[in-house]
Amino acid sequence: MTLPDSNVLPGPLWLFTALHVLTLSMHFAAMNFLLGGILIVIAGRFERRWENPTARRFIALFPAAMAITVTLGVAPLLFLQAVYPRQMYSAAIVSAWFWGLIIPVVILAYYFLYAASFAGNRDASGKARFLWPALLGLLYVSLVYSSVFSMAERPDVIQRLYAQNQTGWQWNPEVGDYLIRWLHMILGALTVGGFFVGVLGKDDPETFPIAKRMFGYGVAAAAAAGLAYVASLGELMASLMRTPAIWALAGGIFLSLGSLHLFFKRRFLVSGLALFASLILMVITRHQLRLVKLRGHFDPASWRIAPQWSPLLLFLVFLIIAMVIVGIMLRLFFRPSTTSQLGLARRDSGGGFHERNQAD
Amino acid sequence: MKYPFWDLPAGYGILMAAVAIVHVFIAHFAIGGGLFLVVTERAARKAADAARLTFLERLGKFFVLTTLVSGALTGVGIWFCIGLLNPAAVAVLIHTFIWAWAIEWTLFFVEILAAILYFYGWNRMAPAGHMTLGWIYFLFAWLSLFFINGIITFMLTPGRWLSTGNFWDGFFNPTFWPSLVFRSCVAAMLGGLYAFLIAARSKPDDFKARMVRHTAWWGICGLAASLPALYWYWKWIPATIATAALQDMPTPMRALHTSYWFAGAIALLLLLFGLIIPRRLHLSVAVITLAMGLGWFGSFEWFRESVRKPYVIVGYMYGNGVEVANTEAYEKDGYLSQIAYRSGDDGGDLFRHACRSCHTIQGYQPLKPALDGTDPAFIAALIKSAPLLRGNMPPFLGKPSEADAIASYIKARLDPRSLSAIYGLQGVELGAKVYQIRCGKCHPIGGRGDKTVELAKLSEGSYQNLIENASDLGRGMPAVTCVESERRALIEYLKTLKAGGGK
Repeated sequence: MTLPDSNVLPGPLWLFTALHVLTLSMHFAAMNFLLGGILIVIAGRFERRWENPTARRFIALFPAAMAITVTLGVAPLLFLQAVYPRQMYSAAIVSAWFWGLIIPVVILAYYFLYAASFAGNRDASGKARFLWPALLGLLYVSLVYSSVFSMAERPDVIQRLYAQNQTGWQWNPEVGDYLIRWLHMILGALTVGGFFVGVLGKDDPETFPIAKRMFGYGVAAAAAAGLAYVASLGELMASLMRTPAIWALAGGIFLSLGSLHLFFKRRFLVSGLALFASLILMVITRHQLRLVKLRGHFDPASWRIAPQWSPLLLFLVFLIIAMVIVGIMLRLFFRPSTTSQLGLARRDSGGGFHERNQAD
Repeated sequence: MKYPFWDLPAGYGILMAAVAIVHVFIAHFAIGGGLFLVVTERAARKAADAARLTFLERLGKFFVLTTLVSGALTGVGIWFCIGLLNPAAVAVLIHTFIWAWAIEWTLFFVEILAAILYFYGWNRMAPAGHMTLGWIYFLFAWLSLFFINGIITFMLTPGRWLSTGNFWDGFFNPTFWPSLVFRSCVAAMLGGLYAFLIAARSKPDDFKARMVRHTAWWGICGLAASLPALYWYWKWIPATIATAALQDMPTPMRALHTSYWFAGAIALLLLLFGLIIPRRLHLSVAVITLAMGLGWFGSFEWFRESVRKPYVIVGYMYGNGVEVANTEAYEKDGYLSQIAYRSGDDGGDLFRHACRSCHTIQGYQPLKPALDGTDPAFIAALIKSAPLLRGNMPPFLGKPSEADAIASYIKARLDPRSLSAIYGLQGVELGAKVYQIRCGKCHPIGGRGDKTVELAKLSEGSYQNLIENASDLGRGMPAVTCVESERRALIEYLKTLKAGGGK
């Protein structure tokens, strides 16, 4: 009996690339909301930080943002693993302990965010006590991701590190490959965080200037770090600029600045769309860089394509159903309810979480 | 062999079991608990029972903190772990079922959002809208089980997929439906057990008695329904696997039999403290009941994981990542030529890729106690005839010289002294040890492959001849390569079999 060959790509390569780029951009948007939000809540120049209504709303939203960030992070990893399994797993195995520690660290960070959210106004200092470890946890996770994904593009480094030690304790020593890029990501998070803080605090005279500052400085600093990273690529920069990345990069910078301008003009919807589009273009640039770095080692176009059309169609159907259901649920949730409609829901039981937060 | 190997000091099985069992325990609660919440909320609202709604809100908080954080992330953790421990198998699963994973992701997204909104909506939404969210949550949570169940069961029973390669043949494989029904029942039971825990924290009054009884019924009904489903599942496991498990695999059968004790304990605790004396239910009893639930479901998962040995995907890939389809290539070119990431120590690389997934030298499933005092020739012979040993070892498909290299690698990490020196034995006792180590792996006294009767029939003079020509006696029989003193001791021991010793 001839056994099936599973060493095939079960859909067109362009579809995997598109799904990866789209879902990774969505993950970044959620992650930036979370990481940038925590950074701004902790470091923003609020006069009375823990009493600021926008900061409090952010803190209340962090656990949900964490859940959404994690969920949105699953899909890009899945599509990436489908196309680059050898690069991905090999890099993760060499740094197995650091990679594996991501899970307990995220669990702890998640619980810290819940703790900060449940702390309420009764324990203002408690919020800081909980937010700091959550922030450190998220920074650890982002650094490991940057390190491992950079290593995945350097089979020579994986080979060298593995020959030295097989216990999974190898940290990517090629710091130049990822440190500036990681910094660019963190500064980008500050930018997007600034945008969301501005949107949620648009009517708050204290918050909006903070958001403007964070967004403005964030864009400038992220652009500087991004350009420094591109410059650090050396010979690879010339190769990268000969790909569509040059257009994506230029478009990304243009849209970021446009988004900033529109944000200052308080045109939040268009500004947000421009910001998300710039995020997509940055992810495309990142993807092009991966192809350039892997040149000579691996070409994703070498995959044999054997599409599974009916399951693929079913996925698209479920994707549409999911979007519709999400819309229905949000509509249900935000539909105004009168007290009489609430029936037994509004009981004298100390109030639910939302009620308590509103009371705060 | 296309990937590096994570040389984890602990066993792979332990790490995987720790993450997976915790995850499935919480993940099934996420389904059953969701159903429990919305069904009970509906009844409470109909009966205008404010106390029960308060109880449900409390349970809801526990539910969200448990399922959204630990449940969801240990699920990602399984994925991370198996990617580190057996990347080749994950690559097969991802390329075969990528769209099922992708569907699972869309369901998961809705499930997570529904749980968040349901939790935050307790005192904000109209009852009908709130319950709609609850039903959406449960539906999508159960659908995510539906899709992941297809992938999990595929690993044990890939069925017609092995010949067609068709996605749906692999997905709706022979154990798909029994497993789905079984897991759905377990989910309902766990929904009851977790709620039992929250109910135990209430003040000992009528309300507590009512809630404890209510949650206990969920647990009892879920447990009762899951038992025939488990039998159905067992019956759909192909006869070759079931027979091999019954004859040669103590681990899965022990796990399955252990699960019955846990099930009995759960039933007993629920009947006694849930139905007979509900007011006296103490938190510690509820915790013990939940722990029994973990034991029961954990035992089943242990059974499911171990019964498919020596495969990770039955008929397709062995537990050490060796692909069945590449048998010829391995036999022709050996393993080393296929190992993409090398450490510079061939024996070590071969050991990791061929053996290390299941064995450590002196940790989990250690080789040291089994091989201390032996020699490389004997170890190499065992490696070459690995599948004959216990019926759950993958075959060694590499070159003979590679088996020798592994044997040398192992030998260098064993106690170099003789068996006599290691264990301080002489005479018949030493002979018994020699028999246990050199013969007993395939011919345990009183076990399958026991040759006591045949050996007892031999004349004393034949033992020497038997030992001299052991390797000619059957496929996979290793030569008796021990030192002369151990040979003499072995003969002394064999003589006792004739007299009825050794039994």
